[in-house]
Amino acid sequence: MLMERLILVAMWLFGFVGFILFIPRKDLRKGFMAFSIFQSITWLCNMFSFNYGLLSAPVREFPKATDLAITISYLFYPVLFSIYYVHKRVEWSFWSRFGYFFVWVFIVTLFDNVIERYTDLLEYGFLTWYGMWMYIGFLFFISQVCCNWFFKDKSLFQTEQLRLNEN
Amino acid sequence: MRIEWWILLSAYVVGIGLLFFIPKNKIRLAVVAFLFKQVITFLFGLVVVELVLIEYPVRLFPSINRTSFTFEYFFFPIVCAIFNVWYPNGRSTLIQWGYYVVYSSILTILEVIMEKHTNLIKYVNWEWYYSWITLCLTFYFTRLFCIWFFKKGRLASMKP
Repeated sequence: MLMERLILVAMWLFGFVGFILFIPRKDLRKGFMAFSIFQSITWLCNMFSFNYGLLSAPVREFPKATDLAITISYLFYPVLFSIYYVHKRVEWSFWSRFGYFFVWVFIVTLFDNVIERYTDLLEYGFLTWYGMWMYIGFLFFISQVCCNWFFKDKSLFQTEQLRLNEN
Repeated sequence: MRIEWWILLSAYVVGIGLLFFIPKNKIRLAVVAFLFKQVITFLFGLVVVELVLIEYPVRLFPSINRTSFTFEYFFFPIVCAIFNVWYPNGRSTLIQWGYYVVYSSILTILEVIMEKHTNLIKYVNWEWYYSWITLCLTFYFTRLFCIWFFKKGRLASMKP
């Protein structure tokens, strides 16, 4: 129990510190968009996967209010995704972008598996390690598509900015 | 079907209907308001249930979640998006304050009616004016965030 609590505290710390250190000031908006898009998609997907017993969280932050693992889905993975997204470059070739994506998803899955195996923070039900790998890959991919859409049209984005400021 | 489920269903229908009131050139503003509101409601929805301030007897995903997913994930954020998209920029302070009051009051009145007549929400240690004040505050914070997000001139906005 103590170890789980310490890990949760560490995730909050690393989440905040990671966001401050690894998101450059000029990319703050991008970082925040990536964070909240990933959070929103994870919230919805986790509702279904916890509901249908794919995974569960025996030790959790709000035991009365929800069965979801809040620190991981509210803060920690969204911060990791936003660091991933902000440092991704469009100029890279297809294979470097693919490799970058692959390495990130692999590391997050590895972390998730370690948490599952050695602590009570997560418990896989029907989910296997490669199921989690595909799940995290799916979350990263969908969030990335949404973020790309949001920042796609630079000119459109700027006219909206102007409009809001003119008013 | 019980009245509660009809209300939940109509929240989704009305929410999707409200999307058509977002002008095409303000979709991104709506998205930012929607997502930022979710960041707030996700956490505060959990806190009020964990502290037994509010209960939601009839809800979606009842076995794993005791908060109101429909209103926190979908309905309030959509209303907040509409709030920001149609905000009376540059009008008199009175109109701007009135805009906050109208939105918060309509939502609070709907909540109180549901509290009295349905099983969707039960105030345990809660009062209607707590709802009203928190709604006003979250609208205000989302508004501040959107103004910052769409501020012209990236560098200028970085200054304290």
